[in-house]
Amino acid sequence: MIAFLVKRVGQSVVVLIGVSIIAFILEHLLPGGPAKAILGGRASPFQIAAFNHANGLDKPLWQQYGIYVWHLLHGNLGRSYKLNQTVNSVLANDLPKSILLVGSALVLSLLIAIPIGVFQAVRRNGIFDYAATSVSFLLYSMPSFWLGIILILAFAVNLHLFPAEAPQGQSIGSIISDPRAMFLPVITLTLVSYASFTRYMRSSAIEALAQDWIRTAKAKGLSQRVILFKHMLRNALIPIATLVGLSLPSLITAGIVTESVFNFPGTGFRFINAASTEDYPLLLGIIILIGVLTVVGNLLADITYAVLDPRVRYR
Amino acid sequence: MPLLEIDDLYTNIRLKKGEVKAVGGVSISVNAGETVGLVGESGCGKTMTGMSIMRLLPAAGYIASGRVLLDGRDLVKLSEEEMRAVRGNDIGMIFQDPMTSLNPCLTIGSQIAESVALHKKVNKAKAMERAIEVLELVGMPKPKERINDYPHQLSGGLRQRVMIAMALSCEPKLLIADEPTTALDVTIQAQILELLDSLKEKLGMAMLLITHDMGVIAGRADRVVVMYAGKVVEQAPTEKIFASTNHPYTEALLASIPKMDGSVARLYSIPGIPPDLSNPPTGCRFAERCRLASDQCRTSEPQLTSNDQDHSFACFHPVGIEANHVKVAIKVEAEEIARIEHADRKPLMVLDHVSKEFEITKGAILQRKAGTLKAVTDLSLTIYDGETIGIVGESGCGKSTTGSMMVALERPTGGKILFNGEDLFGHKPKELRSVRSNLQLMFQDPYASLDPRMRVGSIIREPLDINKIGTPQEREKKVISLLSEVGLSAKAVERYPHEFSGGQRQRIGLARALALNPKLIVADEPVSALDVSIRSQVLNLMKDLQRTHGLTYVVISHDLSVVRFLADRIGVMYLGKLVEIGTGYDIYENPAHPYTAALLSAVPEPEPEREKTKIRKVIQGELPSAINPPSGCRFRTRCERATDLCAQQEPPMTSFGVLHQAACHFPLISNVEIRSGAATN
Repeated sequence: MIAFLVKRVGQSVVVLIGVSIIAFILEHLLPGGPAKAILGGRASPFQIAAFNHANGLDKPLWQQYGIYVWHLLHGNLGRSYKLNQTVNSVLANDLPKSILLVGSALVLSLLIAIPIGVFQAVRRNGIFDYAATSVSFLLYSMPSFWLGIILILAFAVNLHLFPAEAPQGQSIGSIISDPRAMFLPVITLTLVSYASFTRYMRSSAIEALAQDWIRTAKAKGLSQRVILFKHMLRNALIPIATLVGLSLPSLITAGIVTESVFNFPGTGFRFINAASTEDYPLLLGIIILIGVLTVVGNLLADITYAVLDPRVRYR
Repeated sequence: MPLLEIDDLYTNIRLKKGEVKAVGGVSISVNAGETVGLVGESGCGKTMTGMSIMRLLPAAGYIASGRVLLDGRDLVKLSEEEMRAVRGNDIGMIFQDPMTSLNPCLTIGSQIAESVALHKKVNKAKAMERAIEVLELVGMPKPKERINDYPHQLSGGLRQRVMIAMALSCEPKLLIADEPTTALDVTIQAQILELLDSLKEKLGMAMLLITHDMGVIAGRADRVVVMYAGKVVEQAPTEKIFASTNHPYTEALLASIPKMDGSVARLYSIPGIPPDLSNPPTGCRFAERCRLASDQCRTSEPQLTSNDQDHSFACFHPVGIEANHVKVAIKVEAEEIARIEHADRKPLMVLDHVSKEFEITKGAILQRKAGTLKAVTDLSLTIYDGETIGIVGESGCGKSTTGSMMVALERPTGGKILFNGEDLFGHKPKELRSVRSNLQLMFQDPYASLDPRMRVGSIIREPLDINKIGTPQEREKKVISLLSEVGLSAKAVERYPHEFSGGQRQRIGLARALALNPKLIVADEPVSALDVSIRSQVLNLMKDLQRTHGLTYVVISHDLSVVRFLADRIGVMYLGKLVEIGTGYDIYENPAHPYTAALLSAVPEPEPEREKTKIRKVIQGELPSAINPPSGCRFRTRCERATDLCAQQEPPMTSFGVLHQAACHFPLISNVEIRSGAATN
């Protein structure tokens, strides 16, 4: 297992180097350049040259990348052009908010999806199963911004139950203190991920229920409850655990659209802004963070897989 | 009063349209301490009967009418909760496949303890103690250490012991064993059957043994119930049902099994397939396939009647004693002829000290060599043109690997294979393709070996297309003629594999193998996925085709009776080594190697007299690992005759007759001087 972990971490480093190089190159291919974006369209060539020189943008690309990596190894993600703060401090401020938003949606969607998926599997092809299937397909096929707008229209504009905009506080404390405003963004994300989780849960449970050992458990005289929750669920959750691990990068990416719709001051929202203002250091920082989360999520998925399934032992 | 009394049971399974009448009025009784064998082919309702007793029918299944009395209590009327107290407590059940019947995520200890804790109302620690106790009872080595193992850490035989331990943990009055040994190797099967027998004695329980294998029934059951198409057709004490069969179906079933003594040259095969039970025929359900059927059979249904008190059958035209058991002793003579003819035959394929090793690697970054799995070691064998060689052995003995090397799918890691005098692997890739068309494979699983999205015509034509043989019109013609040769109509060309039954699909596979006019066909377990009556059709067909096409067969099987029926010479493999080879007579009647003898005694035969008196030399233990095979003779760890010599020195192949050779230091028969003039390998 330890040898496996060492190997995987080694692979992860290679992946991250690749991600940073590609992101670095793509970023510099963007037309215009950051100087114009920051200084405005009427900036003189002299001002632009001075900006580029100050930020090291006049050096060859490979040197810029080398400097960036050198700083990165020291835990320094650089300084945002636009916000006049270090990228580290921007992320430290935004990330907890995104984790709160997406994380609570993730937990909530699992809490709903697992029991419903199991129930659908047990009573498959019944009325409830068909109804739940229809609902999840409906949600599945809906883009999250569209779902968000519909929810705003229904609950905020027409019913006035919840505010249309997410809490605007800068600190995480101020966001927690306004749970009503958190409701619509969390529900939007919950419904979107519920749709896929419940489909996986249903098919995984159906597969597990068809196994011979379920019949063995019944032949022992166990009750339906014990069969479902002791025998079936543990087996059926294995693919779900993998799925959750793989969805770790969605802590940022899921927020990109939804945070914009609700004007939520999280990492996803920041990412969009950074892209439109060509704030290179901030953009790169977030991309690398997404890369790290993807790699860590994959690793976690593999580890939970081995923990849940005794047949899997990594060499 | 019998312990279990099934009274006129009807069980149906709902379909989208209509219902399958899986069990149609079955009455069976089982007395305390008695073993009743329930036999029949797949789809005859034997498993559904067992599941109806436990009320564990599939979601769409239900008991339409009838009673299931256990100690006088009607199980059909019990509430689900009351029924749960019966399952696992009063009735234990063992299923066919030990590989899939245990929960992979729970330890074996907790799976056994679970039912003890539930039914005996004891705490977890007590239940665990009981689990260790029953594991000891079923012969699990070192049960205390094994208790925390997961199922995947155990071999098939040990898993089945766990299943038995689980079923017996609460000392049930009745044990339902549904094909308990079908998925196991013969030597392990013998161990498990022996165990079930002794446990039954020890615990004084009754057993309902559900199986398709007449051999298993013959040796173990007190009474036999034969089912066909959802109905009981005959029931009698075991000796009577074999000695004085009354129902034509029972007779046909017995006649379609190849005999181990090689006394049958051609198998009886029941024409047609069982009826569709969603719309069962009026009258006798066997009438369509029965050689004695009259108009009466098709219009009215025969009831179970008895000619003496304990033998009953449902037939208007029972077969007499004299009509049954017409044994033909041609096979033994034919073997004698083969022995003489052998000198004239020329070798088609020579395996010259062939070995196949698979490397096992270990380590994360550096793939260090951790060992080699020695699948086949130093195997020499000459296959003569036109003969049938059988290769038998337990799973993991290397017989399938040997077959793959013969058709050039696997490259040997040592030694040479000569085909028509040329090195099979000395060819350039392009030449190898044309050589390959002479070497064809017939597969085990007729469901997995045909592409479900290809029409039958394209499946059979594909080898011709690949080798660019003939014009498209000629290819079409060839396909039609191949189909008619294997007994299928030309209409099959347009249809897909799923429209055919297992036996028909195996015929399609055979037609595909024949398309290129091969010299050699390697048949790897050709009939093991088929039912007895269908099996005999395919076996007869294989024999016919051999004659008409001048084929050479290599038949690989774990089923010794199938090999005996088809093969002229038989090789026995153990853990990658060929331990004995000879004619069917040599191997079955006069074995030299102790392993051959033990393997033969482990095979249950459909002859109750022989089975009950048979002195069983059940091989103990399991197959050793092929990664570190025992030194010297590989069988020595399980052999009674083994001495220090066997560990130190590998026994060489020595002759025991013209075609008979074995590798053993202490053979069961004395070796003879080879008669002068006779050819050997």
